[in-house]
Amino acid sequence: MDPKDEQRLARVFEEIATYGLYEEALTASPGELGHIHLPLVRNVLRQHRETVRCVEEGIPYAASYFTDAPEIFTAMDLHWYHLIAQSFGGGGENIHMMDDLEGVDKLAVANDVCTLLRLALYYLDAGVLPMPTVLVALNEPCDGVIGLHEALRRHKEWRHLPVFTPDPPYFSDDRSIEYFADELKRMVEFLTKHTGKTLDTGRLREVVEETNKQYALWVEYDELRRSVPCPHGYKLAMAPFSLVQTAGAGDPEHTQWYSDLVADAEMRIQQNRPEVPNQKIRLLWFDVQPIWFDSLAPWLEAEWGAIVVLCMFGYAPYTQIDTSTEDSMFSGLAKRNLIDPPMVRQARGVADNFLSDIARIVKDYSIDVVVWPGHMGHKDGAASVSLMREACRDLGVAFLTIGVDQFDNRYTTIDQMKDRMSQFFTAMGLG
Amino acid sequence: MQADTGETRCRYDPRCDRSAIAISDKAVSVHVTATGTVRIMESKLSSKALAELTTAAQTLTNPEVEKWRDQGGRVVGYFCSSFPEEVVTAAGMLPFRIRATGSRSTELSDSYLSSINCSFPRHAFNVALSGGYGFLDGLAMLNSCDNIRRIYDHWKRQVDTRFVHIMSLPRKAEPAQVSWFRDELTNFRGLLEQHYGVDITDERLREAVKLHNEARSLLRRLYELRKADHPPISGAESLAVTVASTAMPKKRFVELLRGLLGDLDSAEGIKDYRARLMVVGGILDDPEYVKVIEDQGGIVVTDSLCFGSRLFWKDVDEHADDPLEALARYYVAERPSCPRVFGEYENRINYIWKMMEEFKVDGVILERLAFCDLWGFEQYSISNDFKDSGKPLLMLDREYTLSGVGQLRTRVQAFLETIAR
Repeated sequence: MDPKDEQRLARVFEEIATYGLYEEALTASPGELGHIHLPLVRNVLRQHRETVRCVEEGIPYAASYFTDAPEIFTAMDLHWYHLIAQSFGGGGENIHMMDDLEGVDKLAVANDVCTLLRLALYYLDAGVLPMPTVLVALNEPCDGVIGLHEALRRHKEWRHLPVFTPDPPYFSDDRSIEYFADELKRMVEFLTKHTGKTLDTGRLREVVEETNKQYALWVEYDELRRSVPCPHGYKLAMAPFSLVQTAGAGDPEHTQWYSDLVADAEMRIQQNRPEVPNQKIRLLWFDVQPIWFDSLAPWLEAEWGAIVVLCMFGYAPYTQIDTSTEDSMFSGLAKRNLIDPPMVRQARGVADNFLSDIARIVKDYSIDVVVWPGHMGHKDGAASVSLMREACRDLGVAFLTIGVDQFDNRYTTIDQMKDRMSQFFTAMGLG
Repeated sequence: MQADTGETRCRYDPRCDRSAIAISDKAVSVHVTATGTVRIMESKLSSKALAELTTAAQTLTNPEVEKWRDQGGRVVGYFCSSFPEEVVTAAGMLPFRIRATGSRSTELSDSYLSSINCSFPRHAFNVALSGGYGFLDGLAMLNSCDNIRRIYDHWKRQVDTRFVHIMSLPRKAEPAQVSWFRDELTNFRGLLEQHYGVDITDERLREAVKLHNEARSLLRRLYELRKADHPPISGAESLAVTVASTAMPKKRFVELLRGLLGDLDSAEGIKDYRARLMVVGGILDDPEYVKVIEDQGGIVVTDSLCFGSRLFWKDVDEHADDPLEALARYYVAERPSCPRVFGEYENRINYIWKMMEEFKVDGVILERLAFCDLWGFEQYSISNDFKDSGKPLLMLDREYTLSGVGQLRTRVQAFLETIAR
């Protein structure tokens, strides 16, 4: 392998080694939830190994995002990796994070810009992002995302790459869906032109029919999380996102995983044996789970009986896609990737999108506290806090905003967060 | 708070502390100091036209807007340089670009926007909440950026403006995006017609395009004069003119600008400068900021600003069969873009290079409002390209209202030391 490619894959190799150990450990002692966690680990390994294979064998592959309709990539047999996944260490702990953050601080990008996005630019700068054949960028949900991709596109390393980005309209009506569906069709033309891969309608139907099953099971699982007590803890609140909105979307093996997840939740509800005992406070964590969440969420559960019933990325408002024609599939994919997906659903358009989700989730999931973490990068969200607070007041539910960096806990330390949350729960008479 | 040149209180809301200033034949600049007193500065140029234009730039309720209102004219506010003013003009109304000139605090808007939001919308919304925009009959917005687009959500809830509308402006500049925005404009035209009982015909749109193009053409003539070795107008004065273009009826602006161009024919050029500068960035509507830079010995001869050259460097096609399509094409794909438009960086940097060459620029000042993500990443690419080309660049972060003047002076002085002739 070319030494430069080897360096670009260094983090991928590291994660393969780390996740290989997780796989071994979970296989040797699966515990109660091993059958749920193991497929998640294996999915990370499978995707990483596929990236390595593409590089080694010169197979075209893309860097892209979950809102770029992953079903299309699967149907085109085009591998892709999630551009910002690096920061999450494949879903676990990124052991390089402190060094990476120091690298980020040296970039000529102001430190009031979202750290996650600055990290992505840093990874390219540091030469640890695999070199894709094409970049399918993102123009939503925030300005930082657009800025990042323009900077990536212009970066010396990637300047030669063909780039496409679907353009998201600000609204969520039928006209917007059809416009975005046309953008996805243009994306297919672009991918075909630059990778030689083609889209077969029949194959797309197969993939979408499979993801339809998976989304239906996710919706079912979310309904089970409405139970009091909630059957599972915070980790599985976000897990369903990772198998249907990443590379390999539509893999029939994943359908079994969703079935197993539902079955485990049902079993726990029937036996009144939740994963987390002594639940007292039901939280909506209204954002992505931060990379440092393993340092906070278990404490919340143990100290306060506070359970994350739902997070933004665990919410499943998805509807089924009509697979009768190619057009109906593209319209359905447009809706699934423009109107439904987390963060894009709320932050892309008007502030009412936040408020309607809060109202729905608080009622459906018997939420006691809505937590808007207040990530420093979410400028549109920061400008919506007063509206969220007002909506929660109207609903009679407590609302907490902290002010954090979801990717750098030097901004607000874990201890500060714990203090803040403890004071809040005490003041509200919770727990 | 009293100025010594005949200040009058805002007529539209007694809570508003912005003022209008009587016009002399000297351009004036109005500053509210921390103690609430008003400081007036004079231009070296003797031009009544420049004085009127400067007043319009440095107050909100300038005499031209008041005259327009007194004659029964309606005013529609908007936020962004990508907003198609021509449609409002064609409706017989005055498009007025929102600023927060003279704002001193954000105590009211802080209940709605946070400390990690850009200070421009915080000040602008504070002005709105304090009644400073009571003279607006409507507000039409675009989803310009994360900070500004949320003003729509708050304005419609908190400010008593009868017509509040937002349009979806694409983030790419390709034919499909032009087509989308044309439909947005069709919808906007219909809403204006319905709400105000006006008729926006294609003919009126063509007339509006022609009028706005005339203003653009004259502004380009103004900038042409700045290419001279001894420019007849400073960067601060020039910014006041371009800001004024967004704050008064276009016909009146054209008259005043013609007058100014006539006055500049006989003006003595500025000779005592150490370097020719270009300012690049987003919202900068305060000529005083540019004046601080120029007071250190530089002269700002051109810019790439959304209150500056990006407003008028290109014209809308006057001869298109479909004026709405021409407007959509102009605002989505043809006019110089800001970083909110994806895939256009090369055009933006080439615009800077071309400006630098044409205006014989020695160095560029890239100013960014803190908490602006778009310009945050643009800084990265621009700084890399400047490094590669060996051209001098100074990057500054700032707040909307002029602050940290001492630090600004120091940094500009140091920059000038490195590039001065």
